[in-house]
Amino acid sequence: MSDQAHVRTERDLAPGEEEQHSVGARILGYVVGLVLALLLTATSFFIAGTDLVWQPSIPVALIVLAIAQMGVHLVFFLHITTGPDNTNNVLALAFGLLVVFLVVGGTVWIMAHLNANMPPMDQIMPMRR
Amino acid sequence: MLGKLDWSAIPFDQPIPLIAGAVVLFGILAVLIWVVVKGHLPYLWHEWITSVDHKRIGVMYILLASVMLLRGGSDAIMMRIQQAVAYQSQGYLPPEHYNQIFSAHGTIMIFFVAMPFVIGLMNLIVPLQLGVRDVAFPTLNSVGFWLTATGALLVNLSLVIGEFARTGWLAFPPLSELSYSPGVGVDYYAWSLQISGVGTLVAGINLVTTVLKLRTKGMNYLRMPMFCWTTLASNLLIVAAFPILTATLAMLLLDRYLGFHFFTNEAGGNVMMFMNLIWAWGHPEVYILVLPAFGIFSEVVSTFSGKALFGYRSMVLATMAICIISFMVWLHHFFTMGAGPDVNAIFGIASMIIAIPTGVKIYNWLFTMYGGRIRFETPMLWSIGFMVTFIIGGLTGVLVAVPPADFMLHNSMFLVAHFHNVIIGGVLFGAFAGFEYWFPKAFGFRLDDRWGKLAFWFTFLGFYVTFVPLYVAGMLGMTRRMQHYDVAAWRPWMFVAAAGMAVLTIGVICQIVQIVVSIRNRDALRDRTGDLWDGRSLEWATSSPPPVFNFAFNPDVRGEDAYWDIKSRAQQQSLEHEVPEYHDIEMPRNSPTGFVCAFFATIMGFALIWHIWWMVILGGIGAFATFVVFAWRDHDEYVIPADEVAAIDRVNIEERRSLVSMAGTV
Repeated sequence: MSDQAHVRTERDLAPGEEEQHSVGARILGYVVGLVLALLLTATSFFIAGTDLVWQPSIPVALIVLAIAQMGVHLVFFLHITTGPDNTNNVLALAFGLLVVFLVVGGTVWIMAHLNANMPPMDQIMPMRR
Repeated sequence: MLGKLDWSAIPFDQPIPLIAGAVVLFGILAVLIWVVVKGHLPYLWHEWITSVDHKRIGVMYILLASVMLLRGGSDAIMMRIQQAVAYQSQGYLPPEHYNQIFSAHGTIMIFFVAMPFVIGLMNLIVPLQLGVRDVAFPTLNSVGFWLTATGALLVNLSLVIGEFARTGWLAFPPLSELSYSPGVGVDYYAWSLQISGVGTLVAGINLVTTVLKLRTKGMNYLRMPMFCWTTLASNLLIVAAFPILTATLAMLLLDRYLGFHFFTNEAGGNVMMFMNLIWAWGHPEVYILVLPAFGIFSEVVSTFSGKALFGYRSMVLATMAICIISFMVWLHHFFTMGAGPDVNAIFGIASMIIAIPTGVKIYNWLFTMYGGRIRFETPMLWSIGFMVTFIIGGLTGVLVAVPPADFMLHNSMFLVAHFHNVIIGGVLFGAFAGFEYWFPKAFGFRLDDRWGKLAFWFTFLGFYVTFVPLYVAGMLGMTRRMQHYDVAAWRPWMFVAAAGMAVLTIGVICQIVQIVVSIRNRDALRDRTGDLWDGRSLEWATSSPPPVFNFAFNPDVRGEDAYWDIKSRAQQQSLEHEVPEYHDIEMPRNSPTGFVCAFFATIMGFALIWHIWWMVILGGIGAFATFVVFAWRDHDEYVIPADEVAAIDRVNIEERRSLVSMAGTV
């Protein structure tokens, strides 16, 4: 087990070092990413203004497209893969997502409950007299 | 031309800050003149100011923290005296001055004492423990340090030019908004934290990358010393939490400078959002500070008990658990803000849960000591003092994590006593333990034992005499930050606390005397082996102070407690060292980038505070130009030839051999 880890440490990339791929393959990756990103962007603009689909589904569709957009950026431009040399990046991404989820979700939940100790509005109104 | 700045900014009518400022200015000038006259300036410039060596930068961080500790400490002394005398009277500090003092005390102690102290120790030791030659981004490291120093400089500038915030150390709106704080105090606060926040963030990125990417041969994650693990956790928290602080302060600044309404009372602003966001940073910050201290105690307890750390893997697990749960508890700082029972209950329970991994750590340290041959050296005294003190602080913390109890104790002196109990007992004791433990590694001579122990006992006792009375005063209903009061029952406790402060001050003086005495007796206290404490991790495998390249060869690690392992193998097989083949070593070249960048950042920060817009542009362009010049550099490394490496390394090997043979004869 320790020997495996040893081998992996040696194959690990130093900060700022690029993975060794041929130029052609790298350009192809970026072009595919660009096309997908443009496609998702165009779809979002189209969906937002169309009346071809059921109206309440539009926000949901936009959220789905936005998440897909993030995925495209992560895979094609930031080179997140499932390979063993990418464990750090994937873990960092997971940690980042968890923190964003906790802070944003927690904030929304907290701010929605701030008035819990206030009396209901119909009890406040008579007091004003 | 000069924005809001004119002669009225200098407080000629207030003698205390003016005299203090004059004394400090005189001191700085005297030191500068001494440096120039003695011809130390080139040395200082080449060896320290432009240095990108992680050890030098670590030492400078700790020096900054120590100087700021004296500033924050004198604020504390002034507050304790004020509360002792201000019974049915105004005391000697007028309210606007007293409010600035408690705000500056909190800001300085957290951002410019605790933070630089732990970051300095991590910088100094983590690359050595990992067995590597430097951090991942050496020049960025220097930039981070100098930006932190910029922040500290701006806060101290507010003493004589203008004023500091009167809002408490977190500048809650609406008090910190323009309508209630029209002066420059809050701007000094916000801009110094923005600039030093950038420095902290780059330090965090640098150390995370170092731990994840730069480890010596065979040093996989579960062989790293505990201090490296807590460094990783703490810096992950820095990277995740500090952007929240930056964004929150940026919104406050937009309110103040451009008439936005994020946190104002009118026009749809929401004050509560500021409390929510600032504590979403503020609670992880607590763990950013205390996790490295936990790492230091792990190293110290294991070394001075002569045993491997008990439950290493449970310690790793506890550290990473704290790293995550610390993001789930921030509401316990504002239970009384109005959230209902379900929200308060969830956050209360989460706050109690985080005490469990901390408890695991305490038991691990106790079991490490159990059955060990304990040497009561000064770092060990600080560690034992920490365990006792931190348990008390932790238990009062669990008490205020219960929402109904918190409704009684919120904003009282009980709370003040609680967080001083964990921050002094945890972070400061940890910083001092690390300082005593690693000082010989950084400078090659040990610190005087007698004065170190005196400093510990005075600080330890002084802490209790100062802060236990504050618990009592809090129970008697005294709220925090009172400039004067009319309740007779509180007064005796304020007297006791002031007496405790005197004892604490003696502790600080002992610490200063210890350093002076040790420097004067450095030849007698010299450590020639590089392994003064019979250490267990790799920093003790090189000489003290380590050569600029740290290790002539990258150490080969085959288990936990890497250096202990190497030593026991060498003893068992009584290995005769064959003459190793030395290679050239490439090291990063020194760079003034950090210093120049911080120089322009200081100009920009000062100009922003005083609304001097042309100077803002000047500072901004200067900082950016510095970055461009650095990015276009041609030679960023220099080569240390193999002969020189060999010469330096052989001296150290000889010293160690003679030590081993001496041990053999005895």
